[in-house]
Amino acid sequence: MSAPRLWNLIAELTYRCPLRCPYCSNPTDLAAHADALDAPAWGRAFVEARALGAVHVGLTGGEPTVRRDLLAIVRAAAAADLHAHLVTAGVPIEADGLAALARAGLGSVQLSVQDAEPEASDRIAGTASFARKLAFARAVRALGLPLTLNVVLHRHNLARVGALVALARRLGARRLELANAQYHGFALRNRAALLPTREQLRVAALAVEAERASSPGLEILFVLPDYFAERPKPCMGGWGRKALVMAPDGRVLPCHGAAELPLEFWSFPARPLRACWEDAPGMNAYRGEAWMREPCRSCPERTRDFGGCRCQSFSLAGDAAVADPACALSPHHALLTAARDRDTAAEGDGPGLRYRTWHLA
Amino acid sequence: MTPEAFEARLRAVLAERYHDRHPFNLRMHEGTLAADEIRTWVRNRYYYQTRIPIKDGIILAKSEDPGFRRQWIRRIRDHDGDGSAQEGGLELWLRLAEAVGLDSADVASLRDVLPGVRRACDAYVRFVSTRDLLESVASSLTELAAGGLMVERIACFEKHYPWVKTDGLRYFQSRTEQAPRDAAEGLRYVLEHARGEEDQARCVRALERKCEILGALLDGVEWGARQLRLAPDAKVHDEPEGPLVVLAERAVRVNETGREILGLCDGDRSACQVAAAMRLRHAAPPEVEREAYAFLEEMEKLGVLEAPADPTPATERPA
Repeated sequence: MSAPRLWNLIAELTYRCPLRCPYCSNPTDLAAHADALDAPAWGRAFVEARALGAVHVGLTGGEPTVRRDLLAIVRAAAAADLHAHLVTAGVPIEADGLAALARAGLGSVQLSVQDAEPEASDRIAGTASFARKLAFARAVRALGLPLTLNVVLHRHNLARVGALVALARRLGARRLELANAQYHGFALRNRAALLPTREQLRVAALAVEAERASSPGLEILFVLPDYFAERPKPCMGGWGRKALVMAPDGRVLPCHGAAELPLEFWSFPARPLRACWEDAPGMNAYRGEAWMREPCRSCPERTRDFGGCRCQSFSLAGDAAVADPACALSPHHALLTAARDRDTAAEGDGPGLRYRTWHLA
Repeated sequence: MTPEAFEARLRAVLAERYHDRHPFNLRMHEGTLAADEIRTWVRNRYYYQTRIPIKDGIILAKSEDPGFRRQWIRRIRDHDGDGSAQEGGLELWLRLAEAVGLDSADVASLRDVLPGVRRACDAYVRFVSTRDLLESVASSLTELAAGGLMVERIACFEKHYPWVKTDGLRYFQSRTEQAPRDAAEGLRYVLEHARGEEDQARCVRALERKCEILGALLDGVEWGARQLRLAPDAKVHDEPEGPLVVLAERAVRVNETGREILGLCDGDRSACQVAAAMRLRHAAPPEVEREAYAFLEEMEKLGVLEAPADPTPATERPA
């Protein structure tokens, strides 16, 4: 099938990060991948992405602000006429660095916090960072940049969604993403320590509903974990359909997790970005609907969820082309529900957290 | 509650929540509204006036009692007049419109009623449609406070807005007599028919809801003064497929009319002025203002447009 228009380039500038969150979406072998692209190379990628139709670039990682050449990268994004969106933990960057990025043309900022309480946030982050995050958020607003607050939800912080909404309001955020952890990579290793109970989710959803009514001007997203949903999510808006992820080593992927699939992806700048997006075998493997089997192939919802998450099918059912086990119609759905029932049966906090680690090869 | 305590509770609701305390009304009575703001209010409040006989007709149809109906039907006549000698409230309001410099036919067409005002007024009609007679009557008890407000308003117009011809104030004068009489009747009905705590509580909630609706109406009027402009992070790309607004976390496709409206949002023109400018440019479509307002609301919700007076003002980014 012909490749659709690219809208969003997700630029993973590095896998390095001062935080050690146990649900990190980076690959578990992250230390094996070098930061292979310098600022001029990223700049060329931005120009080529714009030519493919992209209007947004998400500068993410790892932690993008550990890059010393971030200013040049932001400048290149603005020069390529892309809306540059910084996705950061708020450390190690400081207010003066942020001001420089704003002058260079940064468009908006997404800041992660791990909880509404300092100690709890620092415990999940694996490092003291909460106070600096709040100071960073104030710097974002002082510069007039739109702020999104992002919080990954799990067993240990779901009870505080109300406090998280209050925090977002206090910080002047325009948008709050309350996203339940998705269990891939590091998060999958920690599933038994993180997966919430259905009751926790029910109470949290009610709290979010109540807060929405009293928070005009704040957009609140609340994303359920697949483990408690009847239908899969339209992962990435469809495989190779709207967005691409460019890894620190230049691999061009349809999502953060796809590198773990046995597929051939191509790399930039070894090949032009257009080829990586339009022609790479891996990129075309699950584009459109031709790859679908039943029950997806004839499902009326396939145009809405695009068959869900290929990586979840691969990691749970061993085959990326079968229906996402998150779907109640999937013959593999029991794999997910059984794991859920086992992992939420534990009393109390469950097993200890296994933090993101950086193993030198 | 005893009837006395119940009445006191109802009056307390008004003391706390009646729209005389709304910032827009406070500014009106302080004399600090600009002539354009007075006009926007008069133009929009006319939609409320048109809803009153309709909601009174609905209330009328809920009663089995000829005595109640005989009494209540007078309210409809008060607003609609008798078609010849006796001018009704609707007609008097249009005189007010003329007196503040508006074209009464234009106002009567309801074509540029602001969306929040329309929602508030429609919510009132919906409320009486879906509630029983007791709650519907209770919701009309804002009239207990209306008489006093009218007296105050006449004095305030004479003092602060002398450019409004006195003839225009006859609506307020007519209400100084009608409102207390209507309120007394309504109160008597509610005190008699609210049997027990639960009925009384329903009446209190109905009156609270009505106060909310009147407040929302004035919020809707204030929205018309919002001086919207493109958010600092938003940028319009002209693409072959049509204009595309790119901003934080979103891209919004608009059509050429939308592009034109966005172009009018310069942070100086109010929402009302943007709609008026669209009317001047496109005389043909009868719904041009309504469509413009719907578009402005949608764009504001998406963050494409913002008003500098927002609670979290976006300061200019360094160049």
